[in-house]
Amino acid sequence: MPITTEFEYLKPKDMDEALHVFSLYKEKARALAGGTDLVVHLKENLARPEVVVDIKALQELSGLTLKEGTLRIGARTTFSELIDSKVIKTRFPLLWEASLTVASTGVRNRATVAGNICSAVPSADSAPVLAVYDAEVLTRSLKGERRIPIAGWFTGPKRTALLPDEIVTAIELQLPAKKHAGCYMKLSRYDGEDLAQGGIAALVFSDNTYRVAACALGPTPARCPKTEAVLSGNKLGEKLLAKAVETVLQEVSPISDIRSSKEYRLHMTRIMLGRALETAVARLFGKGPKYGTGNIC
Amino acid sequence: MKPHNIQFTLNGEKVALSVEPSDVLLDVLRGKLGIKSPKVGCDRGDCGTCTVLMNGKTIRSCLALAVEADGSEIVTLEGANSRKWTQKLQKTFHAKNAFQCGFCAPGVILSATELLEKNPKPSAHDIKEAIAGNLCRCTGYEPIVEAIAETAKGK
Amino acid sequence: MDLQKLIAKPRKGARSVKTGEELTVVGQSVPRVDGWEKIKGAAKYTDDLEFGPGLLYAALVESPFAHAKIKSIDVSKAEKLHGVVKVVTGRNFTQKFGLYMNDRYVFATDMVRFVGEQVAAVVATDPKIALRGAALVKVEYEELPAVMDAVKALEKDSPLVHPDLKSYTHVPWFFPKPGTNIAHWRKIRKGDLAKGFKDADLVMEDTYTVPRYAHCAIEPHSAIGLFDASGRLTMWTSSQSPFTQRHVFAETLKSFGLSHKDVRVISTYIGGGFGGKAGVTMEIIAAALAIAVPGRPVKLLWSRAQEFYNTYQRLGCTAKIKMGVSKAGKITALDFKLHWDAGAYVEYGANVVNAAGLSASGPYKVDNLSIDSMCTYTNLPPCGAYRGFGYSEFLFGLESHITRMARELGIDPVEFRKKNAIKEGDTLPYGAHMNPTGIMDAIERVAKEIKWGVKERSKDPKKAIGKAQVCFWKSPAMPPNASSSAFLKFNEDGSINILVSGMEIGQGLLTVMAQIASEVLSVPVAKIRVETPDTDRNPYEWQTVGSHVTWGCGNAVKRAALEARERILDLVQRVHCLDKSTLYLEDQHVKCRTKPDFALRFSDFVINGIQADDHTFKGGPIMGSGVFMPEFASAISDPETGQGGHPNVHYTTGSAGIILEVDRETGKMKIKKVALAVDCGKAINPDLVRGQIVGGLLQGFATVLYEDMRYNEKGRLLNPNFSDYKIPTVMDMPDQVVPIIIEVAQPDGPFGARGVGEHTMIPCAPLIANAVEDALGVRIKSMPVTKEKVALAVKAAKK
Repeated sequence: MPITTEFEYLKPKDMDEALHVFSLYKEKARALAGGTDLVVHLKENLARPEVVVDIKALQELSGLTLKEGTLRIGARTTFSELIDSKVIKTRFPLLWEASLTVASTGVRNRATVAGNICSAVPSADSAPVLAVYDAEVLTRSLKGERRIPIAGWFTGPKRTALLPDEIVTAIELQLPAKKHAGCYMKLSRYDGEDLAQGGIAALVFSDNTYRVAACALGPTPARCPKTEAVLSGNKLGEKLLAKAVETVLQEVSPISDIRSSKEYRLHMTRIMLGRALETAVARLFGKGPKYGTGNIC
Repeated sequence: MKPHNIQFTLNGEKVALSVEPSDVLLDVLRGKLGIKSPKVGCDRGDCGTCTVLMNGKTIRSCLALAVEADGSEIVTLEGANSRKWTQKLQKTFHAKNAFQCGFCAPGVILSATELLEKNPKPSAHDIKEAIAGNLCRCTGYEPIVEAIAETAKGK
Repeated sequence: MDLQKLIAKPRKGARSVKTGEELTVVGQSVPRVDGWEKIKGAAKYTDDLEFGPGLLYAALVESPFAHAKIKSIDVSKAEKLHGVVKVVTGRNFTQKFGLYMNDRYVFATDMVRFVGEQVAAVVATDPKIALRGAALVKVEYEELPAVMDAVKALEKDSPLVHPDLKSYTHVPWFFPKPGTNIAHWRKIRKGDLAKGFKDADLVMEDTYTVPRYAHCAIEPHSAIGLFDASGRLTMWTSSQSPFTQRHVFAETLKSFGLSHKDVRVISTYIGGGFGGKAGVTMEIIAAALAIAVPGRPVKLLWSRAQEFYNTYQRLGCTAKIKMGVSKAGKITALDFKLHWDAGAYVEYGANVVNAAGLSASGPYKVDNLSIDSMCTYTNLPPCGAYRGFGYSEFLFGLESHITRMARELGIDPVEFRKKNAIKEGDTLPYGAHMNPTGIMDAIERVAKEIKWGVKERSKDPKKAIGKAQVCFWKSPAMPPNASSSAFLKFNEDGSINILVSGMEIGQGLLTVMAQIASEVLSVPVAKIRVETPDTDRNPYEWQTVGSHVTWGCGNAVKRAALEARERILDLVQRVHCLDKSTLYLEDQHVKCRTKPDFALRFSDFVINGIQADDHTFKGGPIMGSGVFMPEFASAISDPETGQGGHPNVHYTTGSAGIILEVDRETGKMKIKKVALAVDCGKAINPDLVRGQIVGGLLQGFATVLYEDMRYNEKGRLLNPNFSDYKIPTVMDMPDQVVPIIIEVAQPDGPFGARGVGEHTMIPCAPLIANAVEDALGVRIKSMPVTKEKVALAVKAAKK
């Protein structure tokens, strides 16, 4: 299917040049990284930019580094790069696990994490994981830089805090100091690639603190503070789990759409939370299924 | 709109042509450069028939703008036919009658080539993961998976 | 994973195959003749063909409404766009067309009847310009009430989709009811239904629903047309039916001076058909556009979205079953009412309704039988041929119901099926008799393979394991005069070209035809080419559908090969004075049983003739032709009872069983093992039969587990893409598939073969529904049986 909209294409090597274009064109400019969302939108006339700015020559946006406990994911980093990274696999296995659930190899070789959170569909797989890691989104415009906590990043379905004259430069998160393990449970219609009909990311710490976030179960991906409060300070047992799965229902607001019904999503929210927590706890003690297995519901 | 003059290496040969920014890479390969093995299947990157290798990695060429190919190395099955792992795979696919209508074959073969060039001793799960983005409606996948596994084992 | 083959002892009366000789090629898994081409990426599909810089492209203007009057079409802006060559509407093409009924339009004329129906087309020098032009066409509609439900469409005050139904021409074995939305009503009345129910110890009634499905062949439809200065229309189409297409083009466009000889249809390899590329859908538009821009080739390529909403879909079906069973486990009565949602145009879909109506009792002996199969118009996309042709749809209800009744009576469901399984010679629903069948062997083999009767437990306490086994059958659904033909010719080096119009859709037809000729003529498959159809050069084939071309086209090829062999033997007898009855072919030589040193090489004479003693040459190029038409078939029967015809040439039967693991909480289902045994008469190429079993099972399971068409209340398809209509990936394979080939010869098939292709997806839906009930005790009566439905059903049952 051809693209019928006409637009200019620029591939700046210089950050200032890129930012000037965004400053000038604002909403009429779109950033192109992997294109796995943007090109679909161009084909379906959901995006009609006047200029497309290819960011793949901007050095400042590259790099995947762990320095002094800070993981920096440059905006150009693809999901394949995350999966191939030993650092991510060993030190941030929850992010590794979630990345494996995104599309397929040929798409992951191009699709970026930054692009995933900029498209901001409620089902974005990276979102609940970044949320439990308390990630920050780094943006830049001609006016300067901003650091936006992930909790304030998603403002609505397909809407973010990104201003029209800004681009995302990187995502940063801290490697948690305490011993921890996690699990990303994803509700899918079958075993092949799918957009989540529901997703629960859980991090469990050796000091009995918990972080839980959901995607595809509300207008934006978000943390579940009430559930976390119920769990906090306690060892995971049957009674606590029962209380937690009841609490999480208050923190999600799924809808019925062509992918799933509200009733099933609510039903699965309880099950996925329970299984995510149990798996994370098992992994904390060196047991449980290997990361990347047993997490598609 | 200003057309762009782009240059890239296609199956080992240098090509130069003029494209519009809104031209899709798949359409340019098929329509302007006569490369027919990557196919139009679904327009959205869901089926994998448009798969080509760009700078050594499989991508969905229906989701790339032609201008993005500037300065890159593109390999399609026409060019991959001379690679060691591709040839080994093809021999096994042929002996096992692994394909039926053949429409998914170029995409599957490139994905399998990428896998074996990177990981010559893949697990059963690795093999499936590599071709999970290539849809096949005919075969039920089993003979394809078996053929890739046999090729890796060197049978 | 090895194929299990069970070769049954030949039945009494069945013609034995090659007497006294071993088959050397037939029965072997020879490599496909089209293998290398496809594996090297060299195989050309229709969209790959080049037509030079003058090629024009077309884009459609489509209806946003399910039912509306077209008040006006303003093409002026579109026509002015630079690069637009022509804009075409229904004004230019008013003739109706169709396969079994003429109810369909090239472009909507005064009325649109489904969302997405083509109203106009813009032809331009570039695909982008065509799309931009299409967006500039202004159509004014007056929306009308629409009907989206097949049962509602039968109500008295339902909107009528075709008020002029009375005037439509159709085949004589269809029974439309003008003034209603009923396009066809197939009735079977056999035996004494009332008595049958009286004699029953258990009578059970229920309704099962099956929605629409999409073929999702990975290659979209495409067609290129060229109407040249000599008055000839050439069409390049991705089609299972080039000759049927030629016929429809010639008939529909005859007002432009075309006759059949002037229309040429060329079809290369197809990237999957599954019935969706049978008949005529978007290709008629390309033909019309070619006529509109004479002298210039014009291409129409369907997008994936159009593949979903504007090609044939599989019909939806609401099935009401009432069955009576004696406590001894015999079916005493069956009353089956099938309401079909066939869409806005039923020219092909009505035959699905007909086919299902003739066979809905399944592979069982049912003496007291009533079937009502009703084809209903709705304002949804037109339905047509889809692998299985109505059988998957009725089998879901039938085999679900049988298992339920057996369990209710305390009878083992597999024993029940054995008790009622149809046998050779039994009377069929319409009066004719059943062909040889290995169904009992199939049932026994499958039961053994899945360890039927042994209850299994999952290692995971969250999961339960259920088992199920069902039977299936299907016959090709064709007009009684559907024929096949073949040309065969030798080349100088003893190689052979075979020309057929049976289509290579992936099933391996070309290879099987080569094997048949190879067996007869002793020429190795590697020296035989079989060409894809060109209606100018290749002889007639009705369509490549119905799983019938191995049988039909295979018979034609065998006859052509036999004719060539006769010519060879006649010639050698004539020139060498050897008795024909002593001659035979072996290793590409003519040999003589009574003269062991006589060996005449094919390449010495198959073009040049044999030189006689007087130095003259006898013979000439060796060729053969073959025609096969089932001269015993007839479609005319009593409209009220369905009795009297012989519409179905033969049935292929089989049985399938699964071991299913279900997660009690999430409803997620995993097929641990599936075994399918099919009696294909003779597996000419076992690899290819295995291909149909493995591929068909996965396609079948997908329809029951996660394929799910969603329409909104205005008739618009909400998920016309693979992101939201899920077809299987490699991750969705069953853990283990066991194909079992059973060979009870089909007397009139080439080397005993009968068709297998569609059959392997037919048993899937009831297998899942029955296994879920076995595992969790919940019964799901509507498809798809998704994990969501299972989980919520379990939850509801707990309450």
